[in-house]
Formats: sequence, structure tokens, C-alpha cells
Amino acid sequence: MILDIYKDALEYSAKDWKTLVILGVICLFSFLLLPAFLITGYNYRVINNAVHGIINGRDPLPDFNDLIAMFVDGVKVVIVQVLYLIVPMIIFLVFAIIAGQLTGVASSALMLIGCLITLIVGVAACLMYQMGICHMAYNEGAFSKAFALSEIKEVIDEIGWFECIATYIGLIIIIIVIASVVTALIGIIFTAFGISGAVLGADPSGIFVLGAFINSVITMFIVGPYLSIFAARSMGLLYTMQI
Amino acid sequence: MASITDCVVEGLKYPFNDIKKLLGFGVLFALISAISTFIGFVSIDIFRATMHMVEMTNTTASQLSFSQLPLGDIYLVTVLGVVGFIITLFIMGYQYDIVKFSIDKKEDFPGFRDVKNIFIKGIKYLLVSLAYNIIPILFLVGGVTLVHDSSILLIIMAISMLLFIIAYFLLIMALNNMIAYDSLKKAFDFNEIMDNISNLGWGKYIGIILFTIIVMMIISVAVGFILSLITVGFAETINNQALIVSVVIAIIEGLFLDSYMSVFFNRVCGSIYRESIK
Repeated sequence: MILDIYKDALEYSAKDWKTLVILGVICLFSFLLLPAFLITGYNYRVINNAVHGIINGRDPLPDFNDLIAMFVDGVKVVIVQVLYLIVPMIIFLVFAIIAGQLTGVASSALMLIGCLITLIVGVAACLMYQMGICHMAYNEGAFSKAFALSEIKEVIDEIGWFECIATYIGLIIIIIVIASVVTALIGIIFTAFGISGAVLGADPSGIFVLGAFINSVITMFIVGPYLSIFAARSMGLLYTMQI
Repeated sequence: MASITDCVVEGLKYPFNDIKKLLGFGVLFALISAISTFIGFVSIDIFRATMHMVEMTNTTASQLSFSQLPLGDIYLVTVLGVVGFIITLFIMGYQYDIVKFSIDKKEDFPGFRDVKNIFIKGIKYLLVSLAYNIIPILFLVGGVTLVHDSSILLIIMAISMLLFIIAYFLLIMALNNMIAYDSLKKAFDFNEIMDNISNLGWGKYIGIILFTIIVMMIISVAVGFILSLITVGFAETINNQALIVSVVIAIIEGLFLDSYMSVFFNRVCGSIYRESIK
């Protein structure tokens, strides 16, 4: 089941390279703040397609029309994200403040327990947040559904907590692997260029700079958008895995 | 029933329906920001002159006689203040019209022709806003003047902040109610206001307003960032003209950003009312 999700998501994200480049351009301008919300809005659309579709279906990639609605969706997603992640942060702060009042072993022991609890709550919050977004998308974007904790918990129960966490960890591993493999490939190619250039008597430093530049361009325009669509699609499909 | 997002998206798109009138509305905001920048500038002069006089005569500022003050500047500030107030009234009247158009679900922009009526509507808008804010203002002013204990003062500040927020949330629905019926009395018909809000649901009502405000904050931060980049660019090319640069930036901001925000917010307010009476 998990592998099916990854297979579908990997194929889905590679459907149209133009979309990836457009996302890359938006990403380039995201220091202007507004485009950053467009990216989250686009990912929300991907999730929206996924939760309303079926696995291995022929869903097309979402269009880039109606930018304002996309922006508002992005803002919504960010608000949900912030509200979910505030919980572990508050827990951590409470523990830190109490531990700051104590001294010696008690302080460090309490801090250790606090960190552990924060970690557990943080993982749960991440999972709940992803499922919350999916649940919101499934219910026509109703804000309150993103925080209907009992409903979301039921959804996760039906999918199975182990499957959810495994999918999540697998997702992170796949993303890291793809990103590092691409970087390594470009590195190897340009190292070969550089060495052969150096053998022929040219200055290799220019080639290395070019390699680094091309690496960042490819990461930004192709790999980054590809992985973000991949992650969004996987989470959306995971949501549809309820029995 | 349309969701929160639909209202906000509709509000964000609406200002693009008639760019010309939006810019016309923006001119008013540009004037206001230019005037307030100028008032700030002249006030510093007045302050400086007064301080100078206080030092020369060895008295306090309240003991100076009227003729010793920099009169020309003070008259200028007063005139500018009055002009600014009149423009503010006009803006409020126009906002009234925008909410009206939103409630009636018209897609075009209200016109500027009927100046007299716009002023009357502006006065109504101002009166209702003042009336709703009067309790927290009295509370705050009374608390600050009567209580001198700093810890109690903090609590009073917090309570008056809370009152301001409650008044603000009620005010939006009250203004909507007044505008929908076009009568001042309806702004204080608390039964109907409460009915409307509970009809929509308090959570949804507060959520939609907070969401709108968050969207507004994000847009203003983003545009402010771009404007500050432009400011830096100007300041690099033009030396020693900080005042002119800041006035130009204030005008640009008023012309495009403030007018857009105001139209957007009032449009959303109108659609909240439309949703609540369904």
C-alpha cells in the first residue's frame, strides 16, 4: 500500500515539467513573501486533487489559474500549520521555564523529560497537521474541519498509526535520497569535467563554480518543486487509504 | 452557503473590477498620508520652537502666553487637520457605499458624484464608530486619570483592550445593519445584531474577520517590504532628500495599498452580512 502511494506520487509529479519550472520561478520570487503563499496554495490544490481522486487514477496536475484563490488557500494552510505547531512549542516553553527555576539534577532531568514529550507531541502534531489539511480539503475547505481533532483521529485510526508514521518517515527518506543523489550526480559530472580540464591545463575553479550554480538552479527549478508536489500528493493519497 | 474562503477571495478580486475608481479612492488616501506626514513634520518644528522658548524664558510650556507660540505653524497644522478630517469623512462615506454595494451584491463600484450624500453617510459612519468605542475610551481615560497604582493600571489597560476588541467585533455587524436598512437607529438594535451574528455562528463570524485581518497583514507586510526596497533605491540615488522620499512613498502606499485594503475589507464586511441574513 505504501509503495503504491510512492509510485503514484512519483509518476504524478513528473507529469508536466512546465509546472515544475513555473513553481521554480515562483519559488525564486518567494522572498517577496506573497509568492511563498502561492506555493503552499498550489500544494494545497495538489492535496485537494488527491483526496478527491483515487490512487493510480488519471488526475491532471492542477492549473495555475485563479491566483487570488490560490493565495488565500495558501494563507489558510499556513495558519493551520502555525496553530498546530504552536502546541509543542508551548509545551517546550513551559518545561523550559519550570526547569529554569530549578537547579542541579532536577533541572536537567525535567528538561530531558520535556524534550521527550515535545518530540512525541511534535511528531503527533506534524501528522495531525498533514491529516488536518487533507481533512479540510476533503470537506470543501471548511476551516473548522482542520481542527476537528476527534474526526482526524478517527481517520488516522482507520488508516492505522503505524502506516501513517511509516509513510511519513519513508517520505522524508525518499526526499533526502532524491535530493542528495541529484546533487551527487551533478557533483560527479562536474568533478570529471574539472579534473579533465585540469589535466588539459585549464583552471578548474570556474568549472566548480559553474557546477555549484547549475546544481542550485536544478534544485530550485526541477527537484524542489518535484519533491514538494510529491510530498503533497503522497499525503493526500494516504488520506484516501481509509478502509 | 459560501465558505469563509469564498468571501475573502471574492473581496480580494472585487477591487480589480474598476481600477479607475479604485485609484480615485486611492487619491483620497494619498492626500491623507501626505497631510499626516506633513503634520508630523511641522509638529516637530512647533515642538522645537516651544522648547526653545521654554529654555529662553525659564518657565514651563503651559505658562507660555499664546503670542509666544509659533502661531503660523500652529494655524497651518490646524487647517491641515481640518482638511484631513473632511477627507476622512469622505472616505468613511465612500466605505459606507462600498458595504452597501456589497450587501446588494453589485459588481461595480459606487460613484463619487453625490458629494453631499457621501458626507452625510460619512458622518453617520463616524457617529456609530464613536458611539461603539465610547465605553472602552471612557474606561481607559477614567482609569488612567483616577488610578495611580501601576499594577492596577496594567489590569485596566488589559480590560480596556478587551473592551475595544469586543466593541470592534460588534461595530462591524452594527455598521452592516445600519447600512442595510439605511437608518441610524438600526445600528443600535442590539437584538437584531446579536441575532444576525448567532445566525452566522460566533465562531465563524470571529474567524472570518480574523482571517481577513491576517490576509490584510500579510499583504501589507509584503507590499511594505517592496516599498522599503524602493525607498532604499530612492535614497541611494537622491541624497539628503529624506522628506521627499518619505512623502513619495506615503503617496504610493495611499494610492494603491490603502485604498485596496479598505475596499477589500469593507467588501468582506458586506458579504458577512449577506451570509448572516440568509
